[in-house]
Amino acid sequence: MSELARKFQRDLNAGLVALVLLGVLAESDEDLYGYDIAKRLQRAREGDPLFKEGTIYPVLRSLAASGWLSSRIVPSYSGPPRRYYRITEEGRAVLTEWRSVWRATRDFVDQFTGPSPLTESSPTDV
Amino acid sequence: MNAQDANMPRTIKEYIDELRAALDGADPALIQDALSDAETHLRAECAARSTETEQAVLHSIAESYGSPADVAAAYLETDRTVQAALAPSPRPNAAISSSPQGAVKRFFGVYGESRSWTSLMLLLISLFTGIFYFTITVLGLSLSLGLSILIIGIPFFIGFIGVSRLLGHVEGRLVEAMTGERMPRRSPAARDSGWPDRLKNILSDIRTWTTLAYQLLALPLGVVYFSITVIGLAMSLGMIGSGMLILLRSLGLDLGLDPDLNIQIWGSTPEPTSIEATLLSIVTIVFGVVFLTATLHLVRWLGRMQGRIAKRLLVSATA
Repeated sequence: MSELARKFQRDLNAGLVALVLLGVLAESDEDLYGYDIAKRLQRAREGDPLFKEGTIYPVLRSLAASGWLSSRIVPSYSGPPRRYYRITEEGRAVLTEWRSVWRATRDFVDQFTGPSPLTESSPTDV
Repeated sequence: MNAQDANMPRTIKEYIDELRAALDGADPALIQDALSDAETHLRAECAARSTETEQAVLHSIAESYGSPADVAAAYLETDRTVQAALAPSPRPNAAISSSPQGAVKRFFGVYGESRSWTSLMLLLISLFTGIFYFTITVLGLSLSLGLSILIIGIPFFIGFIGVSRLLGHVEGRLVEAMTGERMPRRSPAARDSGWPDRLKNILSDIRTWTTLAYQLLALPLGVVYFSITVIGLAMSLGMIGSGMLILLRSLGLDLGLDPDLNIQIWGSTPEPTSIEATLLSIVTIVFGVVFLTATLHLVRWLGRMQGRIAKRLLVSATA
């Protein structure tokens, strides 16, 4: 990726990281800790990650500070204690709202930039 | 790309040092959060890829976790937006503060600010938390010293320091909730090493000693805070209450008081139903209200000071 593309990606990520984290935690049946979430995101995408794992931690903490995630610390046998996160009811409400904002934005942007051949053939496109 | 490779940290410690340098000048609590997140993540990564060397794992970190500069930027950016979102809107009285009415409004505005009441709560419970911290610390220190001649002394001391750090973290959360002073959002990661190393880390970590100092200091400070708060509240509420009593009585209301009882007020003893009693009682009430307001201002100031003391002693930028 070129430096310009990287910068564009970073700007896009500003709000998207929070949306993705809320989404991951809403989908998950169990509580997740930072490292676990980072690895799930990594597995979900081949090649270059869209955002650095280091950037999810401050966002997780700010989501928790807003009351959208609850967290608890669990001692771990294999290393330092882990902080497990779970989405709150308030968080789910925020996610529902953000999701529709995101869909509307994506559809609008697609009208002008046109879906690439890759996304057209993708079966996961809603 | 090669130049970047040469600059990449080769060990977790080097990474943490670079991250700390990149965050230089930021809020110490934010630095502690960022360093502890990074250390936890990198250790987990090394543990998950135990077949590779630390250097090989750290080599790929730039692509996955992000370089120290990227990560530092993410923390600063997130904290800035969160602080902006959580901060109360700019005080509307800022514009009118120069006029005399503005000063009066500002003086009495203290009742409407939640910080006044949370600070009041913090100062009132500070005596009890102070007694608790002081007892635990004195007990832990003296038992550690006493047990130091036995082999159990060292694990006991390490355990005691762990408890005292946990208490320090809980106190930090309490102080942030009550005074708004930003404190670490999570406790620092425990280092993953053997007893001798752990003991060395504890003894060489300045925060160990400042945390203990804070917990010892908590008792005398708690006594001072509690006394000032209770005396201020008692005096002002006493003035308001007795003023009300004399006022109602001077207006001829039967309060069931002995009609011959003359209350001395501001050095004179007016007739219970005289005009003088009415005026003096109103003066007393006004004084009481002013005194109560001044007490709340003092309480807010003490709360802020307590927040600063807690931050200085419980949070270390070099954590």
